Amino acid sequence: MITRFITEVNTRFNPFSARARSARLFLSFLPPTARSSGMAITTKLLPRTSTEPSTLHVKFKDGKEMNLDCEAMGIKSIVEEVDRHSRALQKAADLADG
Amino acid sequence: MTPAGAAIGDAKISDLEVREYRRESSGLAVVGIRLVHSTDPIHKMPPRIRCAIPRGLGSAVNSSRISNRPLVLRLPSSFTPSAATTRQYATATAAPTSGFRIPDDYVPPTKPPTARPSDTRKSQLLRTYTSLLRSTPITLIFQHNNLTAVEWAAVRRELRLALNSVSTEGSESADIASKAQLQVIRTRIFDVALKIVEFHDPSKVTPTTVSSISGKRVKVVYNHDLSKAAYKASKSATKGDEPLPESSAYGQISPLLIGPLALFTLPAVSPAHLAAALRVLSPSPPAFPAPSKKKNPGYHDAIAQGGLQKLMLVGGRIEDKVFDLDGVKWVGGIDGGLDGLRAQLVHMLQTAGLGLTTTLEGASKSLWLTMESRRSVLEEEQNGPKEGEKKEEAA
Repeated sequence: MITRFITEVNTRFNPFSARARSARLFLSFLPPTARSSGMAITTKLLPRTSTEPSTLHVKFKDGKEMNLDCEAMGIKSIVEEVDRHSRALQKAADLADG
Repeated sequence: MTPAGAAIGDAKISDLEVREYRRESSGLAVVGIRLVHSTDPIHKMPPRIRCAIPRGLGSAVNSSRISNRPLVLRLPSSFTPSAATTRQYATATAAPTSGFRIPDDYVPPTKPPTARPSDTRKSQLLRTYTSLLRSTPITLIFQHNNLTAVEWAAVRRELRLALNSVSTEGSESADIASKAQLQVIRTRIFDVALKIVEFHDPSKVTPTTVSSISGKRVKVVYNHDLSKAAYKASKSATKGDEPLPESSAYGQISPLLIGPLALFTLPAVSPAHLAAALRVLSPSPPAFPAPSKKKNPGYHDAIAQGGLQKLMLVGGRIEDKVFDLDGVKWVGGIDGGLDGLRAQLVHMLQTAGLGLTTTLEGASKSLWLTMESRRSVLEEEQNGPKEGEKKEEAA
């Protein structure tokens, strides 16, 4: 997963729900240096009885915000969705560099 | 015949230490027996290959490898080695005269049959986890998101400091603190271990009949965690699509077992230690404030904080019950630990008893009071006219 262009990640989930799976896996995909390189990561754990849907909110360097639906999407499709935008940013960055 | 040879020749078989080695070459199994006289001063050296005879012979007659070949070891009664070589080898021969034959279904007691290959790392991890689950009453489950090694070291250092600060030297609490640990687990294997701990009951496994080394039929129970019984029990409990019942601890905890996990385990129910760990690993003021910067500067350095931010407490298992974050905090907030809880219970029962006796006493007391007051009224009524009469008489 390309994480260079992500500036903010906000998640809310109830760990006792099976639907929290993709949100939790997304957090485990972020690199060890994510926080030190300026990515803001906030995680809110809901209580066990909560039936609120789990949410994942990602912000990019160019200002684009993504509200990903963790309930329906698996981790693969979330990564795909995030990478789709990141690749466009990567291309622009490469062109600007070279 | 040399004196040594004579000594060996005269010795009984039981006096000889029998060591065995095996080598397979060109499809023929060669079984060698090294006979060493135990009283001989030359042979006081420890054996180079340490193996007990039953185990070694058991592997030699592994029926899957050597199927139709009868293995016979001849131990001659008068054994005469040459003087030049003190090591003697006997080879297996196919013609049994007066021999010792290992039964085909002999199972060495040190190597019971298993459902999973017992010598793999995964199987041994599974055994570690089942014993961990059976022996630790408090387990906190954390998700760890790519902590680096130095961050782990910093987190463990701070945890150790906090646990030591709540325990006094040389007491039971110091023991608990020293045995507490934070370890990364293999999530899927831990999941299987949880299933085995909950669904496999070792006392209900029926015994199997196998042959002992002497050929006698004996009943043996194979109920260890890698056994077929354990495998079947854990598989059948979670078979099909129907969800596990609400009461099942595995059913409650299984959604937590996703992604990279770490466990914090305590060897005893000690809310004081749990609270100390919570203050470090997942601080939440006002009940569990993080250590102050003045008291504990190491906690606030960049590496430790970087590590702690990546640790996420998702739940806990306390005495076979599953708790979420708030439940774990509730347990951590019990003052005085288990003894404190017991004292509270005793106090509650005492006050309840007091209330009960006063209530029971109250009914009879009030009855007595009513009767007493009625009696006094009646007495007054009886006495009243008399007094009046007396007064009238006096008048």
